[in-house]
Amino acid sequence: MNLYLIQVLNGLGIGMIYFLIAVGLSVIFGIMNFVNFAHGAFYLLGAYLCYAIAAATDSFWLALAVGPLVIGALAWAAETRFLCRLYRVEHMYQILVTLGLALVIQELVVLIWGPIGTHVSAPALLRGVLSYGDFAYPKYRLFVIGFSAVLALTLWLLLERTRYGAILRAGTESTEMVSLLGIDIFRLFSLTFALGAYLAGLAGVLAAPIRGAEPFMGPEALTIAFVVVVVGGMGSFAGALAGGLLVGVVQSVMSSLWSEGANVMIYVAMALVILLRPRGLFGRT
Amino acid sequence: MKLSRRKFVKDAAAGAMLVGGAPAMLGRAFAAEKVKLCSLYPLSGAFAGVGKPGDVGAHLAMQALAKDYGLDIEYVSIDSEGNPGRGVAKVLAEIQQSGTKFFAGAILSSVALAVGAEVHKSGGVFFTAVGADEVTGANCNRSMFRWSVPTYGAIQETVVPLIAMFPDAKRWYTITPKYVFGDSLLRNAVDVFKEKGIEHVGNSYHSLSETEFSGYLTNAAAAKPDVLLLLNFGSQSTNTLRQAADFGMKNKMKIVMVWAAGLEQYQEIGTDVLDGVYVGCQYDVTIDSPGNKKIVELFKRDANRIPSYASVGGYICVDLIMRGMKAAESAEPAAVIKALEGMKYEGPTGNEQIQAFDHQCVKNYYLLKGKSAAQKKSSDDYVEIVSFGKSFLTQAQSLCKMA
Repeated sequence: MNLYLIQVLNGLGIGMIYFLIAVGLSVIFGIMNFVNFAHGAFYLLGAYLCYAIAAATDSFWLALAVGPLVIGALAWAAETRFLCRLYRVEHMYQILVTLGLALVIQELVVLIWGPIGTHVSAPALLRGVLSYGDFAYPKYRLFVIGFSAVLALTLWLLLERTRYGAILRAGTESTEMVSLLGIDIFRLFSLTFALGAYLAGLAGVLAAPIRGAEPFMGPEALTIAFVVVVVGGMGSFAGALAGGLLVGVVQSVMSSLWSEGANVMIYVAMALVILLRPRGLFGRT
Repeated sequence: MKLSRRKFVKDAAAGAMLVGGAPAMLGRAFAAEKVKLCSLYPLSGAFAGVGKPGDVGAHLAMQALAKDYGLDIEYVSIDSEGNPGRGVAKVLAEIQQSGTKFFAGAILSSVALAVGAEVHKSGGVFFTAVGADEVTGANCNRSMFRWSVPTYGAIQETVVPLIAMFPDAKRWYTITPKYVFGDSLLRNAVDVFKEKGIEHVGNSYHSLSETEFSGYLTNAAAAKPDVLLLLNFGSQSTNTLRQAADFGMKNKMKIVMVWAAGLEQYQEIGTDVLDGVYVGCQYDVTIDSPGNKKIVELFKRDANRIPSYASVGGYICVDLIMRGMKAAESAEPAAVIKALEGMKYEGPTGNEQIQAFDHQCVKNYYLLKGKSAAQKKSSDDYVEIVSFGKSFLTQAQSLCKMA
């Protein structure tokens, strides 16, 4: 198979993982207009909960089911206790507070699990590769791609085809109007923030067998998430998917064309999108 | 002037006291002087996993040895963040605000080279355990010393024995980080390939911030090499190796990680992935030498941990600076430098010596092989020693022109 075709396929795989990392941030920003710099820390916590639960129970699947729920619950508690006070202030204050929260989570991870990273094995069922000619692809990555695709569809249905989604979208247009209709929009915001954190935690759990868990992986995920959200269009669910796939393919193909610049090209792609479409690929005007 | 017997005896006694007691008095005066020693490690960021054990080792050396050497050391730890710009700024602040003269550490060669240049300008001493040849080569200076074997020796002691062990493995592919250390390893590897008739079927560079290596591994798989040579370090080599195993490359080719960070990295990688992989390392806990036995005992007793390359690197850099102070009986950098040049000592890898012409310690480098779960005798038993040796440039070959 042609090397570049293989790189495009590999890039789509990376892109689905990037989508998974970014979609939670996109949901929180797009629906609540809230800038969450703790998103990477929720991802970090997901990876470590995956490690802890899998080590204690020898079950990755239990970690996948429980880890993100724990993070969603923690995020809900944080949102209802103090983050909810930040909706009416400038983004700069939201950034400061959530960055502080991220640092607290990161240092807690170091205190509990130590500064050295750790290894998380993929479940036995998903170890090994599937081969087609010269092209081999890890079974676990294929699972992550399939899982992300199902998740994307589920989220789209939730946000576009349910009463919950309709109220949320209305709430972003006019919080007061929705409240006047007797709906507790801030309760929905709490749930949405918890959902975004759940998605970040889910991405962390799924990423752990691919890249391990180490205390400083949060900022790396946050950076990728912001690039994907900016490329795709802030607040656009379809944009997060398109942005993730585009960034993944650019990075993978550039690994063959100009390997030392592959990482930089992610940001070049972002700059180009900002120049040509300032609101991103699927951004609302 | 008439000299009375009483005055003669008094003066003679005073003279004898001065001659005989001077070193002891000097020693006491020197010991009473508090000396600031600053360690520099990435305590946050991508290389913190290696930096923190380094800091632990440096601190342990100061705590355990300073008193034995008759020194009063004030230990200060700086977080370089794995960034040359930030690391240098913090070192400059330490030099300018506190007048600190002695520095140890650094994990990244780029950080060490930048810090070494600034410490040299200030007339201090800097002991490091980084890899790039330039540290004791083209960019050497009078203030900078290095314990670890440079990239030249690392390649000689890993690639050369592996070529001899696997004569049919003629096609080698490299993955290299695009910074000083990586370029230095690649240059030395390519020299060996040319010398031994090995076909270098390709190289993928990556940036210092890269975490996703599947694109580079796809390039490598497409080139169908017999050996995949990883020239990156720390969490980047961990992720490359982990992802190479995910892509099934361990079954198709030999994988060699030239510069491993030791125990902490083996723990991070895990036995499943490390099994059968060849790694090069500066140190291993199983080294059979009196110096290492003492270090292992000390780490177990005082730090409740098994020493690793990162922690021993931190330990030995501080130890050697203090040995220099003790030998010089002074905390004056010029005297310490003079005492260190040519010093022989019992080090972690056996008998070691600091070369005067380039300030490089002459020591062993190790080729190790990852053990399977069945071969492990304890939870921290990840590798076995395959071979080791000393490979260094001679003074005639060296690019070091000591400033």
